[in-house]
Amino acid sequence: MNSLIIGSIYALVAAGFSLIYKANKFFHFAHGSVVTFSGYMFYLAFSSLNLGLVFSSIFALVLAGALGWGFYEGVYLPIQKRGASKAILLIVSVGLMILIENLILLFFGANVKVLKIGSYESLNILGAIVTPLQLVIIGVSVILFLILYYIINKTKIGRDLRAVSDSKELSSIVGINSRRVLNFSFIIGSFIAGIGGILIGMEQNLTPTMGMILGIKGFTGAVIGGMASVPAAVLGSYILGIVENFGIWYLPSGYKDAIAFILLFLFLLLKPEGLFGKKMERKG
Amino acid sequence: MIANYFIHILILVGIYSILSVSLNLALGYTGLLNLGHVAFFGVGAYVSALLNMVGVPFIISFLAAGVVAGAFGLFLIYVSKKLKGDYLALATLGFAFIVYSLLLNLKFTRGPLGIPGIPKPEIFGIVISSNLSYLILVLVIGVLTFLFFNKVVKSSFGKMLGALRDDELNLRVLGKNTTKLKYYSMGISAFFAGIAGSLFAHYITYIDPSSFYMSELILIVTIVIIGGLASIEGSLIGAFIVILIPEVLRFFALPSSILGPMRQIFYALVLIGVLWWRPKGILGKVDLQ
Repeated sequence: MNSLIIGSIYALVAAGFSLIYKANKFFHFAHGSVVTFSGYMFYLAFSSLNLGLVFSSIFALVLAGALGWGFYEGVYLPIQKRGASKAILLIVSVGLMILIENLILLFFGANVKVLKIGSYESLNILGAIVTPLQLVIIGVSVILFLILYYIINKTKIGRDLRAVSDSKELSSIVGINSRRVLNFSFIIGSFIAGIGGILIGMEQNLTPTMGMILGIKGFTGAVIGGMASVPAAVLGSYILGIVENFGIWYLPSGYKDAIAFILLFLFLLLKPEGLFGKKMERKG
Repeated sequence: MIANYFIHILILVGIYSILSVSLNLALGYTGLLNLGHVAFFGVGAYVSALLNMVGVPFIISFLAAGVVAGAFGLFLIYVSKKLKGDYLALATLGFAFIVYSLLLNLKFTRGPLGIPGIPKPEIFGIVISSNLSYLILVLVIGVLTFLFFNKVVKSSFGKMLGALRDDELNLRVLGKNTTKLKYYSMGISAFFAGIAGSLFAHYITYIDPSSFYMSELILIVTIVIIGGLASIEGSLIGAFIVILIPEVLRFFALPSSILGPMRQIFYALVLIGVLWWRPKGILGKVDLQ
């Protein structure tokens, strides 16, 4: 059950990673910072401004989407237009990650922020002890992934996105506005990560550095499953959740994060296309 | 007081110069997009501190730091030699995370508590305790490093590294062993990161895993990129700029809870700004592939 909860959270991050990678073909490492950002914006609205659960969520998610849009329109696109390689964009995204994390640190301080929402009475479901919130996390994630799957495969913007993913040049020849599609990938990806940020904030409290580690976990999940396919990335994240949980039985608990790091390293070396991904060029 | 402060800054500039010049050999001259350099720095710091504290003379601990870090470099390039560009960058970044979590969890590195009370270096019976004498030590090693790298990059071996960066396939067609070149480049690069780690550990006298994580990584990469890829002088200038400018913040008497994040924000903005407007850096000769 624990694997499922933590896997859902990783998957919320991984889905956006994969969506953005699929469309843009570069690693948006700063994606993890969207999670932190959204969590803190929710905290600001809910605990400081007393806006209530629904409005606080909308506030945080709109800003998370806007941050994703800002990353693309404000930073990546101008740098891309100057002919930057994927490697440059990757380093830029690491810089953005550090930037957002430290801005949050500056404004909110290093101390842990607690979000206290509703009752936390545990339920016993088939022998597993879970809180209602944990059920919400799993439920929301599954619904989101179904919606996302529908958008990518059944709607016009999803079809455009797959076209841009296959070939940016060809898709612009047939009249697809690739800039709109790429913006869409950043906004939707960040929106989903934003939901992850709110749920994690409720489940585990907020710290300014949480986004980096969650970003790496989500990224690892996406690499395990296969970066270029959203369902594969989601599956990979659940696998990571399971492996982490079982790994802790054999290893000291301090190594929990190391498991993800080692899996990330091994997959990049041995199977960069992931478990469910199609074979691709290693050159990247 | 002020003189002592400047000496302190110069020591840091010296240590980070060695670190960034060594990264530039792999990143700039050879075109290996290594984001794991900070791991070699950390390995060097821990090896030197731990050996010295069980009674191994400083000189030997210092060299061992380089050798062990160099071995880590060889291992990293051995496993990732087939990767290129952003994939290599991510794999090396993952490697740095693994080393970080090992430092955080192994018994003998004392985890997050770190290692306090690292002795000041003792060379042939002379203890280098004052900051001024430490500066001289760093300068001597720094100048030797600089001369060494200057020689390396101007040699035919250095030219070959450039050819490897620009066109690996062509170099292979000419019958050169490109994998061997990568080993040499990473090995040398990691060795010098290791000795920089040793100098850092014995100067600060306290190390913990957080000194060798993302914020340090971004610092080193920023220095190399701002100074320019494939330029040794550039990395020296980069170290000066990146270490000195945030020190201006000190004059505003900000509390450390603000100073720390401000400095990181500065590094991040400089890094993004340079990649945006001048990806070649100040004295750089090549673009990041």
